[in-house]
Amino acid sequence: MFASEYLAVLDPFAEEAKKIVEASPPVDAMPQEIIERATNRVNWSNKEMVVEPNPESIRSEILSFYLMCQGVASVSYPYSREVRMISDSTRNTIRYRMYDLFKRGQEELCMKAVRRSIKLVELEGENEAKLGEVEIPREDFYKLRDQELEKDGIDVVDDRVLHQYLPRYAVRWVDLAPLLRHRRVELTKLYLVKGWAVLTLQDLWNFYANIVSVRTEEYIQSVNERISESGVPSNVLARVGERVSALLPKELTTERFAMMPSGKLRPECFPPCMKLALNGVGIGLRNYAIVMVLTPFLSYARIAPSGKVATRVADFVKDISVVQDEIAPLIFEAAERCNPPLFKDHPQEKANIFYHMGFGMATEPRLGDSGKSKWYMIPNCKNIQMSASPLCHPDELCRKIGNPRTYYFRKMSEHMKAGAGE
Amino acid sequence: MEMHKATPEERKLFYREEWNKREIPDFILHTLSLREFGFDLDGTGPSHRYNQFITVEQLGDFLRDRAPYSAFASVALYERPSAREGWLKSELALDIDAKDLPLKACGCLPGNVCERCIDEARRIAVEFAETLAGDLDLRNIHFVYSGRGFHIRVTDEAVMGLEQNERGQIVEYLTGGLIPTDITMALGYSKVFRERVARTFSALDEEKLLKVRGMRKPLVQRLMMEKERALGAIRKGTLDELSSFKGMGEKTFRQLLEFLARTNLGFTDGKVTIDTKRILRLPSSLHSGVCMKCTLVRDIERFRLDDAIPKFVREAEGK
Repeated sequence: MFASEYLAVLDPFAEEAKKIVEASPPVDAMPQEIIERATNRVNWSNKEMVVEPNPESIRSEILSFYLMCQGVASVSYPYSREVRMISDSTRNTIRYRMYDLFKRGQEELCMKAVRRSIKLVELEGENEAKLGEVEIPREDFYKLRDQELEKDGIDVVDDRVLHQYLPRYAVRWVDLAPLLRHRRVELTKLYLVKGWAVLTLQDLWNFYANIVSVRTEEYIQSVNERISESGVPSNVLARVGERVSALLPKELTTERFAMMPSGKLRPECFPPCMKLALNGVGIGLRNYAIVMVLTPFLSYARIAPSGKVATRVADFVKDISVVQDEIAPLIFEAAERCNPPLFKDHPQEKANIFYHMGFGMATEPRLGDSGKSKWYMIPNCKNIQMSASPLCHPDELCRKIGNPRTYYFRKMSEHMKAGAGE
Repeated sequence: MEMHKATPEERKLFYREEWNKREIPDFILHTLSLREFGFDLDGTGPSHRYNQFITVEQLGDFLRDRAPYSAFASVALYERPSAREGWLKSELALDIDAKDLPLKACGCLPGNVCERCIDEARRIAVEFAETLAGDLDLRNIHFVYSGRGFHIRVTDEAVMGLEQNERGQIVEYLTGGLIPTDITMALGYSKVFRERVARTFSALDEEKLLKVRGMRKPLVQRLMMEKERALGAIRKGTLDELSSFKGMGEKTFRQLLEFLARTNLGFTDGKVTIDTKRILRLPSSLHSGVCMKCTLVRDIERFRLDDAIPKFVREAEGK
């Protein structure tokens, strides 16, 4: 018998899970077995994804999940390969658990978890389906089943598995908006009748697992922005993050992983505040906009540090020309566009720019200087808003992010998905 | 249908004597102060942006005073429209412009419109609206005659919070812009796709079909000769019947479908739909480029162009 606490295993963002996290030890005192689990879970086999229905296993599962997320957030950036890897592994884990629980007769528990996130109705009828007054044509009913079977490469229909491929539920398509937004679901692939999307049990597992996966990405983004504000993450988080990052495949094989934002800067993806800063600002704003905001933004956006805690530029680039020829000219040009030009009355700010990238007070930085000072993080939006409100002209996307860097990586990711990338 | 540019005097006359605040649709009137207004004051483009009007009287005063070449209002509602900040939500908008239809049977020159292609745009708007109300179960679907085509403006709360990606997918669904997994289903997107493909296919002539990769002349001629049979097969979803046309291999058939889907996407300007901050021509205002009134269409089936002809034009024509 599964207690309702087990819902945390199907939804790490559920109240049941939050209670476990609230009662957890500090990160630095996390037991070694949980640290190991946090790292290993990315490569779990199906068998390892299953959690025993006892309080200790549930606790270990939830704490390791959060440790993994926070670890990755501390060594990478939103929409990075690391984030995508754990988002995918979380989706696969949840999907398998749903399948496994159904197999073990725990349908009710699964549906309880699903209904918390998705409003759904059951279709009427056994081997046909009615949705209110609309009857789904029998041929369509079987075609939907066959499509599902084909997706899984199943030719021979087996009564034991058949039920999961039959259309059984319907959800309002607008409730699937978060999945449409992330292209986890495509509208033209849904079977829509009067605003309802008809789903098989298999679809339901997929959609639900994708919802948890999207929430995982959002959670990592929020942690990343918190870390941006508070400075260097704890050693434990950094170690977990680095170990997870090391599991990334060397070859960029899949389309989703081919979204490396490091490389050429894409100004069209910059948030409104950075576009303003690039155009130069007036007296009173200049130092903050150029040195504190634009410098870290351009350096983090261009270098996109991931795999370890970003303390030194030299850990992520092998050639100083990235700094001297690509990042610095943009900053200097923006400084020149200020009114009056920043360096005209504050020539020392030139060295201060390299100082904020971690090269100490230098005007001709060398890679070896990297680490002489701190590589400053980009302030969070609310700090920019407080310290330099004229810079802050938020657009629609700004409302959903807390740091300009997140904005950039999200826009980049959308461009790549839309095929606008290079 | 004769269309000419309105002179500055005609614009002044229109806004002084003819413009009526009651012709602003309720869905705009009730949210007027939350919308950004944009104007093209002299025919050079809508560069006078970031305007907010708290009351319709203020808007009326502006229109009478400036007699703009064009007037626009945002599909978005904002906390601070005059700064375009604090986005709250946006209508779902579709722009079906008669001058940009990818296939025109009327033969009018690119960039031009005639009564026939405006009626074609109207029929497309009706089809899109049927799918919005049917498959997507949306309410509060409004039609606006823009002067050169139609806008569909949906104010159903269910879609007003959607972002670009979701809106882009709605365009694909409504236009039949992607080939479905199964073309033969009785309901759902499969049916929408077949209907759109049939419409596009029926408007194709031999010359256009020959541009499809893999289509040889004998096959094209056969399809043209038996167009009704081919159309019947598309509509019914009995696509194997199409394969029976000699020369229509699996690959050619796929290429034909891809061509039709691509063409379908051109029946609306997707950029308008995904842009949640778009400004659209204000219903009740004058489209000075064609001397027609941009007007809310209450009954799209019975829409007549005459309803959008300003009084000053009618009087000049002695109607």
